[in-house]
Amino acid sequence: MTDMAQSTRALTPAVPLARGIGVAAVLGVLAAAPLFISQYGLSVGLNLFMTIALAESWLILSGLTGYISLGHAVFFGLGAYIMAVCFDAVPFWAAIPLGGIAAAMLALVLGFPALNVRGPYFVILTFGLAELVKFVVVTIESAVGNFGRIMIDVPDITVLYELMFGLAAAAFALVALVQRSRFGAALRAIREDESAAETIGINVRFAKVAAFVLSAIIPGMVGAVMAMRSAYFEPMVAFSPMVSFTIVTTAMIGGSDAPMGPVLGAVLLVGASELLWAHAPEVYNILLGVVLIVFVLRVPEGLYGRVVAWLARHQQRQAL
Amino acid sequence: MTALLAIEGLTRRFGGLLAVDNVSFSVSKGEIVGVMGANGAGKTTLFAMIAGNLRPSAGNIIFNGKPIGGLSPDRVNRMGVARTFQIVRPFATLTVLENVATAVMFGSRRITSRGVAEGEAAALLEEVGLLPRAHSLAGELTLAGRKRLEVARALATGPRLLLLDEVLAGLTGAEVAAALDLVRMLHERQGLTIVIIEHVMRALMRLSHRIVVLHHGRKIAEGAPDEITADPAVIEAYFGRRRHVAAAS
Repeated sequence: MTDMAQSTRALTPAVPLARGIGVAAVLGVLAAAPLFISQYGLSVGLNLFMTIALAESWLILSGLTGYISLGHAVFFGLGAYIMAVCFDAVPFWAAIPLGGIAAAMLALVLGFPALNVRGPYFVILTFGLAELVKFVVVTIESAVGNFGRIMIDVPDITVLYELMFGLAAAAFALVALVQRSRFGAALRAIREDESAAETIGINVRFAKVAAFVLSAIIPGMVGAVMAMRSAYFEPMVAFSPMVSFTIVTTAMIGGSDAPMGPVLGAVLLVGASELLWAHAPEVYNILLGVVLIVFVLRVPEGLYGRVVAWLARHQQRQAL
Repeated sequence: MTALLAIEGLTRRFGGLLAVDNVSFSVSKGEIVGVMGANGAGKTTLFAMIAGNLRPSAGNIIFNGKPIGGLSPDRVNRMGVARTFQIVRPFATLTVLENVATAVMFGSRRITSRGVAEGEAAALLEEVGLLPRAHSLAGELTLAGRKRLEVARALATGPRLLLLDEVLAGLTGAEVAAALDLVRMLHERQGLTIVIIEHVMRALMRLSHRIVVLHHGRKIAEGAPDEITADPAVIEAYFGRRRHVAAAS
């Protein structure tokens, strides 16, 4: 009974040691990828890990608490902005955590008022706040006479790939950790019924703001790395709402209750984008829209959730 | 006996409506106090104020010697007050076990280990008779099951005072009897102090040591069950009009 219940929660192979070795092997191969794949492969990998890192972070807030943020681009953009501003002043490895800290602070400031509203209002509010911050940055930049900032002598793509791989792995580990923790249980309780959560002693305000801050840090750092990738900062691009849309779509397709969800979603989306971008970019965007609608309507638990449920049923049938 | 809970002049206004009007009573340690009254008498509003879901317009709530009126629900719960909801609020897509384990990890006990919490949750589920359903999703339980879960989750927070809001409503005769046994057992086994709102009159009479009667937000009577049934004010307000009783049941 207990085994069955656990298998519905996560795809856990029976032997933890074998699982550990498997995970280490996969991580080792991915980290060593620059040794044997092309520049093009690295740029796809960079893209993939960026999507994973962003969607995993988003999951901590939106997947676990049900507060759907459509404004996570703001943390990405802020991280990129910090990198662009600091690039000549501090080494890039110091500017990346600065981007994360700035994003966390912004989340703290925005979180208190924003997390008082629920459902569609929260979605719209996060979108609006992200746009607001974008135009504040646009205004500041034009006031100081900047029309885009160029970063000269950015690190090689191999370095960026490794950084992004590290961020994706960290985001994955963070979700895995939070999901199993007491804090994660509080976030799920909030998602299910906020009043009931309060009534069993959960400080919902603190938990929600903490989740928001936690979900902003890595996107800030991802933005900082991606600014170096393009070697150019322009607020309309860095704060583009497309970043937020991509995050939500990735998590929705993959499933937003377990760390494997965003990985599946990212592989699918980045794969489809690479296949279609070159030949039919407009088809890619149409496909994205269609897939999102189908998943929201027919597979709300996401691909990963569907697979887990199917496996549980399969095991149950074998047990009978 | 010392009062675990003292309500003093508690009032709650909703616009021009006085939902609870200057109500005072106290509950001693280990007592079961029933709160009786027709729909709209202010029973649930009273509970919501004690549990922190609603801020009182006036008056004091003293729990265990400390004023708790106007504190947030999570703080009140951590101090040892747990409530159930009249309209059950399970964490529907979590399992029954997860529902209760979450409450064990928070509440006044704040157990940090998930394994320990799940063990305690399983013991509680056994007590309320839900252990066989531990791995079902809470949303899949029958109404009687969800009411039991509501009680188990409240107990899991380690309360000294348990507020039960119509845990019998909507249950069949047999289920009511079983739920009554459960409440009685909890009271005896854990020495819990219980305040219970109930529409099922016979049950309330059998269960409570003392009954407080609310009518249009005001307390019109307080006393032992047999005193209440003989009280002219209660008879007039509550039993006197047959249509009123029919509408309430």
